[in-house]
Amino acid sequence: MNIQEHIPRNALVWIVICLFAVVAPHATRLPLWVVGVYLLAVTWRIMVYRGRWSFPGRAVKFAITASCFAGIALTYQTLITLEATVALLLLAFALKLVELVRRKDAYVLLFLGYFVCLTEFLFSQDILVTLFSLVNVVLITTALIALHQPGQQRFSKEPLRLAGVMVAQALPLMLVMFFLFPRFGPLWTVPIKSGAAKTGMSDFMKPGDVARLSQSDDVAFRVKFEGEIPPQAELYWRGLVLSRLKEGTWSAIGYYQVPDEERRPVAVDTQGVEPLNYTVIMEPSHQNWLYGLHYAQSSSGSVVHAPDYRLFSMVPVEAELMYSASSWTQAPVEVELSSWRRKAETRLPADDDPRTRQLARTMHGEAASDRAFVDSVLAMFNEQPFVYTLNPGFLAATNAMDDFVFVSRRGFCEHYAYAFVLMMRAAGLPSRVVAGYQGGEINPVNKTVIVHQFDAHAWAEVWLEGEGWVRVDPTAAVSPLRIEAGLEQAMQGDGSFLSESPLSPARYRSIPLVNQFRLRYDALTYRWQSWVVGFDNKRQIELLHDFFGEISARMFILALFGTALLVLLPVAWSLLRGRSMQVSREHDKYYRAFCARLEALGLQRQSGETPGQYALRVKQALPASSATIDNITRLYNELAYADSALSSADRQDGLRRLRQAARQFRPNRRAIANH
Amino acid sequence: MSMGQGAPATPSASVGLAKSVGSTQELVDRAVAEVSKVLLGKEPQIRLALCCLFARGHLLIEDLPGMGKTTLSHALADVLGLAWKRVQFTSDLMPADVLGVSIFDSANASFHFHEGPIFTQLLLADEINRATPRTQSALLEAMAEGQVTVEGETRPLPDPFFVIATQNPVHQSGTYPLPESQLDRFLMRIELGYPHPRAEREMFLAKHSAAGRATQPAQRIDRNQLDTLRAAVAQVQTSESLLDYLQRLVAHTRQSPEFEMGLSPRGALALLNCARTWAVMNNRGHVVPEDIQVVLPSVAAHRLVPSSEYAGDGAALVELLQRNVDVIGS
Repeated sequence: MNIQEHIPRNALVWIVICLFAVVAPHATRLPLWVVGVYLLAVTWRIMVYRGRWSFPGRAVKFAITASCFAGIALTYQTLITLEATVALLLLAFALKLVELVRRKDAYVLLFLGYFVCLTEFLFSQDILVTLFSLVNVVLITTALIALHQPGQQRFSKEPLRLAGVMVAQALPLMLVMFFLFPRFGPLWTVPIKSGAAKTGMSDFMKPGDVARLSQSDDVAFRVKFEGEIPPQAELYWRGLVLSRLKEGTWSAIGYYQVPDEERRPVAVDTQGVEPLNYTVIMEPSHQNWLYGLHYAQSSSGSVVHAPDYRLFSMVPVEAELMYSASSWTQAPVEVELSSWRRKAETRLPADDDPRTRQLARTMHGEAASDRAFVDSVLAMFNEQPFVYTLNPGFLAATNAMDDFVFVSRRGFCEHYAYAFVLMMRAAGLPSRVVAGYQGGEINPVNKTVIVHQFDAHAWAEVWLEGEGWVRVDPTAAVSPLRIEAGLEQAMQGDGSFLSESPLSPARYRSIPLVNQFRLRYDALTYRWQSWVVGFDNKRQIELLHDFFGEISARMFILALFGTALLVLLPVAWSLLRGRSMQVSREHDKYYRAFCARLEALGLQRQSGETPGQYALRVKQALPASSATIDNITRLYNELAYADSALSSADRQDGLRRLRQAARQFRPNRRAIANH
Repeated sequence: MSMGQGAPATPSASVGLAKSVGSTQELVDRAVAEVSKVLLGKEPQIRLALCCLFARGHLLIEDLPGMGKTTLSHALADVLGLAWKRVQFTSDLMPADVLGVSIFDSANASFHFHEGPIFTQLLLADEINRATPRTQSALLEAMAEGQVTVEGETRPLPDPFFVIATQNPVHQSGTYPLPESQLDRFLMRIELGYPHPRAEREMFLAKHSAAGRATQPAQRIDRNQLDTLRAAVAQVQTSESLLDYLQRLVAHTRQSPEFEMGLSPRGALALLNCARTWAVMNNRGHVVPEDIQVVLPSVAAHRLVPSSEYAGDGAALVELLQRNVDVIGS
């Protein structure tokens, strides 16, 4: 094997470093045995390098590959979820190491490494992940550089410095590309079905679901209000409207189960009311629904308005999504209820929970009005010994609500919402469960509202004659603290808040330093998401509009290339400057012009060719111009090489003649002699 | 000076040479012609050897036996009218055999120094790589310093002191190849190579073999002319543009990956010195890039070491250098 085909020791060390660096961000998602494969591959390759072991044979390679496939299939139960395919890629990346024989194998591995770097973004687009990927890019580049330094037998940090410089030089160009390169929609997509159970709302609710969500401190979304942030008790983020009760589970009415004429929301009179304007950045939820306050409208293109006044997205939210919305929190909605909707919102299963229903009918009969009935039910929750708790215990399998209302009386928000809506419907009032988030944490650093998964909540909406849909939160009747101060305060007594996540920074909010850091980092994340992750076609056009006014396609291209040129020019300049050692001399300039004329005729001067040799060659091709060529060559030779014998006047004179002769030199293509 | 259309091709060679030595070019041409009578068809090598001598350097001729190395040195001595001696280097040759030795003279009851063959104007050190490194370095030291120190006494060597060493290609057995540091002591290294078929035919025709061997080349350059010529070298001017080119060449040897070792400052000076001499030999008062290109292979090839990745030898490196470094600045 040619020495140039060898992989230098230094490059091998860097490749191993890359291998581990690239897999590091994936580590928490990977099964432990994959790490084992990594260690095995590295050990094997090092032993091969030391000459102790040999490269694996074809049968061994096949066996290893097959068992890796089998391992993935067993671990993930499938080969085609996102996690499984990425794990396969990472395994292939590790195993390729024992196949590294020649330099070209190392190229394959390292270029694959750049791609593997990219896969991390399928899972997270966090700032830290991005920064770490940048480090990985530097490391892979370092290995590539080391690969090109043959004979380097000792570990050297030299290539790292060079790679750092190269990546740093690429950054300005990266920024230009990021901000100015046209954003196309994806040309093709693959369904990204993440196998992991992502915490978040599901489109049905049964008692216990929301309580489970409350154990997670993941961020659901962040909101930035244009003006003052409304009080926390007013922040009811509607996500899902659950109108159908079946076998103890509330679920939403599917789009196609709604009759055609009901599929559009009934117009709402918003005359004379100032809207609340805000922008929401959602974390990926892999679901379609979006969140907004009471009666929200969004002008963002991808947001659709549902007939029950929810917002939702046509495609599942697989990446951070940013949308702006306006809400009229006081506006009465759907004052006229259609008969279909009235039926849908009052329907109950035939025979569940007879005691609760009986109670509701009795209370409704006693109440003077529907409004008074609602108040009396809330008063019941408040006055009777109902307990608001994260650990309500189990309810009876049948007639669960009877068990809850009359026996256990311990429940979380979904229990209260369930019981309340059940009682309303039993009395014939149209009502429904609304699931979403309530409240949120106000980050004083950048005045955003951070809504965590533990802010998940369920409440009710009742339709009252003349008022439309009215929000009623039975939980507020049981535990007013939950609504005004959040879950953490409400649960302070029993220590159940985030009891399953001991390491969560949100759990240590009482320590000022930790809290300060957490909030600052969150503010940074908000900025990152709104400027980098959420930088889409629309924001790009807005940005360009701010700088250049009206945007035409031509302006766009000009801006892109102009800025790229602006960034590249200094680089080009410094490269060219480093190349030529001496300053440009005047006579060289004129002589080069002369050479350029001849070059246009295909008579290029070779770099090692002296003017005299060149003249001889050129004169053969252009016998008609012999005299001029001789004259120019002689003038140039004297100016360039015999200059100290010239007086300055002679020199000026000579330069003038050379310039003139070079300018007037117009060799004719047709004059080229045929040789 | 005139820069008009009708100016002569080399209008600026006017540094005083023409007055004192007549035309230098003519002088050199005559000397070359004289040597060519005994060494047929080797004109470029003869010119380079003369250039080396005029530049006060020493010459290494590397070639197979029987290529005319001895003939060349013999003829050069004759043409220049120099006293010359020849030492055949062998593995048992001792430094004293070259430098000289003090012998006790019983008549005078004192030590008397017997000068070795090195005390001459032109020394032909034949097959220098057959001698042991010890003897080689004794010679090379004397070459570098122009004097010999034996038993604490320093004796100067004659003024035109010129060594022509010959060397067989190093792969022959029983040889001690000169290390790079000692190769550097030779200003030029040339190869004679096989003669042109036509020249060889002429040699076979005995037109020269019988008569030519007997005819000794006549002296064509006398001591005065040699001194004037050497003094003229110092007068030759080198323009900024030319020094740019030289520096680009040198920088290329130091930066390009094909070169393990670049040209040292001493090597660069040697190159410049030879180029100046070549300019004088061509009647020019200034150096042009052609001068550098002509002397480059013989001055630089033995000083350049190719890197382990590069397949070529020193000569290939010089070719690379000539091809890749632009004569004209930007």
